[in-house]
Amino acid sequence: MTFSQFECLKVERHGPVGWLINNRPERLNAMSARMRDEFALAWTELDRDPDVRVIVHTGDGRAFQTGVDVAEIASDGVGMERYRRSVEDFDLHFTAWHQQVWKPVITAVNGVCAGGGFHWIADADIVIAASDAEFFDPHVSIGQVVALEAIGLIRKMPVEAVMRMAFVGRHERLSAARAYELGMISQVVDPPERLRDEAQALAEKVARNSPAAMRATKRALWGALELGLTDACRAGAGELVSMWGHPDQEEGPRAFAEKREPEWRELTES
Amino acid sequence: MAYDTLLVERRGPVGWLIFDRPDAANAMDATMFRELEAAWRELDRDPAVRAIVNSGNGRAFQTGVDVVQLGRDKDALREQSRRTRDAELRLTAWHNQVWKPVIAAVNGVCAGGGLHFVADADIVVAASDATFVDPHVSLGQASAYETIGLVRKSPMEPIVRMALVGAHERVDAERARQLGILSQVVDPPELLRDEAQALGEKIARNSPAAMRSTKQALWGALELGLADACRAGGQALVSMWGHPDQAEGPLAFAEKRDPTWRPLEPTQDMETRR
Repeated sequence: MTFSQFECLKVERHGPVGWLINNRPERLNAMSARMRDEFALAWTELDRDPDVRVIVHTGDGRAFQTGVDVAEIASDGVGMERYRRSVEDFDLHFTAWHQQVWKPVITAVNGVCAGGGFHWIADADIVIAASDAEFFDPHVSIGQVVALEAIGLIRKMPVEAVMRMAFVGRHERLSAARAYELGMISQVVDPPERLRDEAQALAEKVARNSPAAMRATKRALWGALELGLTDACRAGAGELVSMWGHPDQEEGPRAFAEKREPEWRELTES
Repeated sequence: MAYDTLLVERRGPVGWLIFDRPDAANAMDATMFRELEAAWRELDRDPAVRAIVNSGNGRAFQTGVDVVQLGRDKDALREQSRRTRDAELRLTAWHNQVWKPVIAAVNGVCAGGGLHFVADADIVVAASDATFVDPHVSLGQASAYETIGLVRKSPMEPIVRMALVGAHERVDAERARQLGILSQVVDPPELLRDEAQALGEKIARNSPAAMRSTKQALWGALELGLADACRAGGQALVSMWGHPDQAEGPLAFAEKRDPTWRPLEPTQDMETRR
């Protein structure tokens, strides 16, 4: 499958791993209106490509992502009003979660992640970071509310650390090491130059697992954020049972017994 | 009661439930499925047991379903499949509505379905050489119950990583402690049972009735939004008002002696869950 031409993103495939790379390094990868539209398309194309088993999301340059392009907002005469309808309706399309991508998504934070950049931390399955990556949320320092990204994060990690970032704003930064301690990320890559190699290696491990079983698992776990524990387990049972009778469920134990790599079925639409 | 696949013991006020299929890495076969339900009930009903420790014999803590054995016992397989489908598992203390404090003491590898017993325990301690891995997706199986429980109780990202990387990576005991999946790493590993017993005895010094209400309030909080959980928790608080332990606690403190708690009344069926 070939990908569309993008201006603000790079979309590539390396073996079983699809790469989505923020590509506005001169703007610290801030999200322009155009980039926002390109995200929607890029996630969908990567999700549909049967050769892509896992997706890694990172950035070019010294920043990972710094949220909405404030310079564009301040100068184009339209400002945030452009986004009013989509936010009021919670009809967003720029993260994998928004786009209902059920393949595993790894965010590899290559540098500064600020403000709206947290969308792609909150909405990823796995997050790793270069040792010199830094996190901060300047919304309230520039008179803006932070809501969606922080809401996602407080469901996934200790709350106090998220509230502190929300209220201290641009006057303090969280290090990759502290993010690792808090369980916001699971791996710090040092030296930072090795980030992409490590992300590719991690993604290749994930790509060895059953695509169908990972999709069901991902649905069960993200679904668990929507419900109380007992109801989440009931819904999770539905995901478990969805694998019963699937060829991968036989193939997995057989390959294990025969000491060989399993041959998984390609994902079918659902 | 005698068990084939478990050891159930009392040491002072602490009840022990020990997985005892060391040759099968303590994997759950049809017999263990049945015996777990009976063992949790036995310990929960024994008024002399104030806290329960769950551990394993041999190198493994617990490695999930013994697929080979269960495959040979069609009736047991059918029944376990039904319970899985209908969310009616009876493996853990939580499944069996045990309201006494439960400590999981992870003595070695904890894999796949073994994570049920970590997710559903109140307190988790581990030997320094214990490891955690969820190989479900590497075997073509979805991971749900265990990891759903864990993502509600600890940072989510490392749990999702464990679920999606599968057999190809392990989490060690020290990282699990950092993440708050467990609260104590015991080194050297041989001291695990002594430390778990000591912790169980500390817990056993507290009011059984107050701990039961506390446990109901905290697990109930995982079912509801914050304000609703506080409302339900308010009911749990009030349930202790007028209980003799509520007067005995401050009195013993003032008199500088150990309190004498009332034995736990048998639980009526709690509507808190299911």
